[in-house]
Amino acid sequence: MKQQHTLTFFISSFILLLFCVSIEAQNDSIVKDSVIIKEKYGLRVGGDFGKLIRSFADEDYSGFEVTADYRLKKRLYIAGEIGFEEKNTITDYLDITSTGSYIKGGIDYNMYQNWLDMDNMIYAGFRIGASTFSQNLNSFTVYTTNQYWEPQFTSNDLKEFNGLTAIWIELVLGMKVELFNNLFLGLNVQLKVLGSETEPDNFGNVYIPGFNKTFDSSGIGVGYGYTVSYRIPLYKKDK
Amino acid sequence: MKKIILLVLVIILSLYLSCERDDICPESTSTTPSLIIDVFDFDSQEDKKNIFNLVIAGVDNEAILPGYNFVSSDNLILPLKTDVNNTQYILVKEASIDDNGTPDDSTDDIIIGNYDTISINYSRTNIFVSRACGYKTVFENVTLTIIDDGDNWILSQQPLNPNQSLEDETTAHFNIFH
Repeated sequence: MKQQHTLTFFISSFILLLFCVSIEAQNDSIVKDSVIIKEKYGLRVGGDFGKLIRSFADEDYSGFEVTADYRLKKRLYIAGEIGFEEKNTITDYLDITSTGSYIKGGIDYNMYQNWLDMDNMIYAGFRIGASTFSQNLNSFTVYTTNQYWEPQFTSNDLKEFNGLTAIWIELVLGMKVELFNNLFLGLNVQLKVLGSETEPDNFGNVYIPGFNKTFDSSGIGVGYGYTVSYRIPLYKKDK
Repeated sequence: MKKIILLVLVIILSLYLSCERDDICPESTSTTPSLIIDVFDFDSQEDKKNIFNLVIAGVDNEAILPGYNFVSSDNLILPLKTDVNNTQYILVKEASIDDNGTPDDSTDDIIIGNYDTISINYSRTNIFVSRACGYKTVFENVTLTIIDDGDNWILSQQPLNPNQSLEDETTAHFNIFH
């Protein structure tokens, strides 16, 4: 349910922000007919500071992601991410460390009509993601519904599952706002569908770097990102 | 400026909201099974026969097995230890309480009746179920032994399959006759 709430929350904040941006835009919307507005094209590179903050705040997580996009056409961007994650999944019955890196690539489409020379984005996109990772089963305790005999068997033998891979596709909804010249602040939400994964023997992938937490009932995953990025302007084109 | 404030708000709120739902193992999922024993009449082995005033307790366990505290039953569900390869139970038939002359004081009460001890031996394998349920134990090569005390009321036992294994709780695993 939380995921659903988060999603609703994100969607409503987008609408809010969109509103916000348009209000500001209206403030300086005195147009001179003779002005020719040029749009900047270039390579935008950045990092996910949300993952950095989480690495400090959450002792069971560390991760980093580098993002990049390149403007192909007026509304079309080619985009990708490379990242590394380590996540400790601890439940009453399992203690698992998942470690690995991932790469994602795809397209972003800007749905936002900018005023004048503003350069903000509200975009939808898709990615194909792939991850190579390993999982360490640090310990487990046998699950049983009947607790007449206690404690249940607990294994503390480290079991390593290496060379695991997963491929997925994801839908991205997000926004990028130009705060200062060429500096952007972005946020996005991702909905992922797992395509294939290496099933470890007598074990399961509870966390896939880049895909995030897996669910028992479905191959759906969710994610979010907060990015800061800088655009290296390469050339300009008329709007 | 407005934009920045809003973004900061979004970030803080989302970090707070991103804590994940706890996964709960669904009850319908097959996890570590208990040993299921059907109770039959020794004299007419097709017929089920209740054990009256039955009390069951595990050896080395001070608690009476929940659900088997002075009951009449022809179906026993016994959880097995998941950390060793042997579990023993005491089954008391036609049990009664001897209050030791102090009906108000239950601490010195003794359960009297015909005590029989059964010993269950097995080997264990741990099988991954799911993220929420973790691992379950399945029991293989299960044998049930009635320990001879010279006055057994459990007269014989029979596994339902040779090399009886316990993987689920859909059917009985052993029959006992009395």
